[in-house]
Amino acid sequence: MSAGEPTGFLYPFIEAEEQDVGALMTELVMSAQAKMQESASLRAATLERCGDQLERAAVGMAERFARGGRLFSFGNGGSATDAQGTAELFRHPPHGTPLPALSLVDDQAVLTALSNDVGFELVFSRQLIAHASEFDMAIGFSTSGDSVDMLRAFEEAARRGALTVGLCGYEGSGMAVSDAIHHCLVVRSDSVHRIQEVQDALTLALWESVQRHLPTPVAARGWRVPS
Amino acid sequence: MNTTWGSPNGAGPAENLAPAALVLARRFAAGATLWCVAPQGPAHARHVAVEFVHPVIVGKRALPAVSIDEPGAAESVRLLSRPGDLLLCIGTANDPVLRDLVTRADAWGLTSLWLGTGPRPGRAGRDTGADHVVWLDGVEPARAARSGDLVLLYHLLWELTHIVFEHPGLLTQEAECADEVCVTCSDEGRVAEVLAVLAEGRVEVVAGGRAEQIDGRLIDDLRPGDLVLVHAGIAITNLLAEGGS
Repeated sequence: MSAGEPTGFLYPFIEAEEQDVGALMTELVMSAQAKMQESASLRAATLERCGDQLERAAVGMAERFARGGRLFSFGNGGSATDAQGTAELFRHPPHGTPLPALSLVDDQAVLTALSNDVGFELVFSRQLIAHASEFDMAIGFSTSGDSVDMLRAFEEAARRGALTVGLCGYEGSGMAVSDAIHHCLVVRSDSVHRIQEVQDALTLALWESVQRHLPTPVAARGWRVPS
Repeated sequence: MNTTWGSPNGAGPAENLAPAALVLARRFAAGATLWCVAPQGPAHARHVAVEFVHPVIVGKRALPAVSIDEPGAAESVRLLSRPGDLLLCIGTANDPVLRDLVTRADAWGLTSLWLGTGPRPGRAGRDTGADHVVWLDGVEPARAARSGDLVLLYHLLWELTHIVFEHPGLLTQEAECADEVCVTCSDEGRVAEVLAVLAEGRVEVVAGGRAEQIDGRLIDDLRPGDLVLVHAGIAITNLLAEGGS
């Protein structure tokens, strides 16, 4: 918008902004600081609110790990990277006991074969049919809580007797009300980014709690045949 | 949570993310691709790539970002990138792959940004580190990678970059090199990567994203891939031999 336009007087700020990097820098810094604060508050509030539920999930998981159970993780998009990070954290922990965890988003051959042949909605549930037993666990990440492939996966895992843990972002979403998810940790926010940040914190807390609840010594028992 | 957002004496992540986001948006507007490397946690590089390519907020533009997570990351970025592109490194300051990459990035003409955890590297500068450094202090690296702290940093980078896009008038301004006395472009010890060793002591290098011939007679045994410091058209130091990089 140039100053010569007759409507220019209505938007005197636009032209000023376009020249002023300093003002933009200030806006960016303030925006970042506000979001950091929001993320930190939401993290603290969610860990507090979900604490008991998280503890119950961890006790159940520790029991299954001790009996030789395995953890399967899944999610779409950014949440797929959370699924990978979670499997990595359990299997190659910075300290504590390594535990058998497998991400279902890692194998391109399997993902594309399933998507092409039976449809993306079955991309995780089909893998669970192949892998999961009544001794195992399934953990899924979704910000919306309504992804059909996720809901199908939880239904399949529960049907096979696995313990299911879900992390989602919206109260009342498909995941939040699904009977197939034994422990559903809900982050109350409508920002996908803030939800993911808090889901990371929840996962870390869950892992720490699982480690605390493992019977000792369990270190060498991951390879055991489930009993 | 004991996260410390920045040190009392220095600028915190917010202050460092702001200029980084401005540069990212300007480079993207000029057609750049963002190459993401996170050797200690490749999932983070993939997360950044999907963030930019497929924005979670409807209406935000898709921007080209690619995760490179194979062992020979430097070789791949060298082949795939073009001068003017962006390099995002995620990891601790002592990561050998990232340290090598940011040094070469200079020669390839890339603008580099390092999102880091653990002990800080040297200040941002052309020889010591990335062009932009955003550091997360006070959190153990393994913890930061899973606590939501690291993901917050790159979420913010994405969010701020898109705020800059709302100011189109500021996207097209000349970048840092408009000045006649620009340090980056002056001939005082530019970093160059050796492309080929030619006859009579001549060496073909790439510096600042441009290939040129220089005099390599001061240094013995130069090989393709070596990093040298160039002054007045002469290679004066082999950075790899110095254990530099």
